[in-house]
Amino acid sequence: MLTKERLKEAFDLAVFRGATYLSEDVYEALQRAIDREDGPAKEGLRRTLQSLEISREKGLPACPDTGWPLFFIKLGNEAQIEGGVLALEELGRQAIREATLRGTLRKTMKHPITGYDPGDNVSDHTPWFDIKYVPGKDIEITYAAKGGGSEVFGGTRHQMLAFADGLDGIRQFIIDAYIASARAGAVCPPGILGVGIGGTANMAADLAKEAACLRRIGSRHPEPVFAKLEQELEDAINALGIGHMGAGGRTSVLAVHVEYSYTHIAGVAVATSTNCCVARRGTVRLTEEALEILPGANWFETR
Amino acid sequence: MATYYLTTPLKEEDVRQLQIGDTVYLSGEVFTGRSRIHRYIFDEAHTLPVDTSRRNAMVHVGPIMKKTSDGWELVSFMPTSSLRFEKWGALSVEHWNLRLIVGKTTMGKETMEAMKKFGCVHVSPQCVSPNLWHDSITIQGVELFEELGSIEACWQLKLDKLGPFIVDIDSTGRNYFDELDIQVAKKRDLVLKSMGIPEDFTPTKLY
Repeated sequence: MLTKERLKEAFDLAVFRGATYLSEDVYEALQRAIDREDGPAKEGLRRTLQSLEISREKGLPACPDTGWPLFFIKLGNEAQIEGGVLALEELGRQAIREATLRGTLRKTMKHPITGYDPGDNVSDHTPWFDIKYVPGKDIEITYAAKGGGSEVFGGTRHQMLAFADGLDGIRQFIIDAYIASARAGAVCPPGILGVGIGGTANMAADLAKEAACLRRIGSRHPEPVFAKLEQELEDAINALGIGHMGAGGRTSVLAVHVEYSYTHIAGVAVATSTNCCVARRGTVRLTEEALEILPGANWFETR
Repeated sequence: MATYYLTTPLKEEDVRQLQIGDTVYLSGEVFTGRSRIHRYIFDEAHTLPVDTSRRNAMVHVGPIMKKTSDGWELVSFMPTSSLRFEKWGALSVEHWNLRLIVGKTTMGKETMEAMKKFGCVHVSPQCVSPNLWHDSITIQGVELFEELGSIEACWQLKLDKLGPFIVDIDSTGRNYFDELDIQVAKKRDLVLKSMGIPEDFTPTKLY
C-alpha cells in the first residue's frame, strides 16, 4: 500500500526539485551552448547557469516566475493507493499549497476575470493533473513548471494544414512559430521546442507541451522519420541567430522534440509549445519500498 | 557599444546619450510594477504613490518577497516581459516622467514614440539570473500592497549597479530587437531554402 504520508512526501519532493533543481540534461545543454558561443551571448549564458547553480545549492526558485503548476503522473495499473486515486489530486494540491506558503512557489495563479488571488496557487484546475496508466505497482510523479514567458508567448501555436502542404508546410509552420515565440527573448531562449503533429488540435497541443516539458534533451524519437525531423529542425533553428534571450547568438534552441498521433484524412494539426531555457521539471518514483529521484519523466515510453 | 553606470534621478542627457546595444548598470531609487499598477492608475484613475521626479526609473517585475520580523526579504527577482504593458507604455513614460524602464523583451511603437519625445530608454536583461542580483537590491518599502498584492505591488527599491542590461529601445526611435528581426528573417529564408522548401511555397488556406 502506498500511504498518503509517503505519497505526500513524493509530491513535495517532485515540486521542490521541479522548482529549484536544474535537471542534468538541461545543465549539460546549457554548458554546451556556452562552449559554442562567444561575446555577450556567452557571458549571458554563463550568468544564467551560475544563477541556476545557486538555486540548486540553496533550494531557491530557479526563476521568480514559478510558472503554471502542472503534474504528470504515471500511475501503475496495480498500484495500491491509500484513499484511492482521488487521494492523488488531494495530495498534489496540498503540496502546491504548502510550497507556495513556504516561498518555493510564487503566488502566481489568479482568477482570469476578477483577478482574485487564492494566495496558494490552488483553485479550479490548478494545479493541473495529467494521469497516464502504465503497467506495474509504482507511481511516478513529475512536476513541471511552465513559465509565464514560455507559455504566454510560446505556448500552443497551432495550425491545421492540408495534406497537400506535406512536410514543407509542417516545417515552415514550426520554424515561423518558433521565430515568433522567441522574438526579443519572449520565451527565454534557447528553449526546448516541443512539436505535436496529428490528432485533433488539442491532442497536437498536448503532445507539443509534453514533448517540450517531459522529454530529456538528447533523446530522439524512435522512428527515423521523426528523429531526422528533430535534428533537421534543431540545425535550422540554430542557424537563425536568435540566441540567448533573443539578443543574437549561435544557440537558439536547446532541443527539438517531435511527437505524433495518427490523423484524419481531412488534415494535419501541427502544434508547437516551447519551454524556457531553465526548463523546470522534477520526477520522482514511489514504490512499496522506496522514494527515488529519476533523471527524467520517460513519459513517452509506452508510445 | 559602450557601458554606462547610471544613477537615479536620471537626467535627460543621461539617457539621450545611450544607443541600442549599449550596456547599462543601474543604481539609485526605483519602483516596480506589472499590469495591475498600470490598470489601477491609468484605467481606474488612482494616483501613483511615488515621487517620480526623483525616482524616475521603473522595473517591470513581480518579485518573490518574504515577510520577516523586521521587514521584507527578497527571495527572487527577474524582470518580466514589458511587451504586455504596451497599452500603458506611452502613458507611463509621459505621466510618470520615466527616463528608463527595465523589463524583459521590449516595447512597441507607441512607447518608442513617447521615449523619443520625452527622453527615455528601455533596457533588458540578457540572462536569467535572479540569484545574482540580491546584493544589488535593497528594499526600501512597498506601496499598494493591500490593493494589488505582493507580486504586483509597487516596491520601492534602492539599486546598486544592478545589471548588466542592454539598451533595446533608445531615445532616437531605434529598437535593437526590430533590427535583429530583419537579420533573422533573412536567415529564415536561407534556412527554408536549404531545407528544399520552394521560395514561393504558400500553405493552403483552410480557414
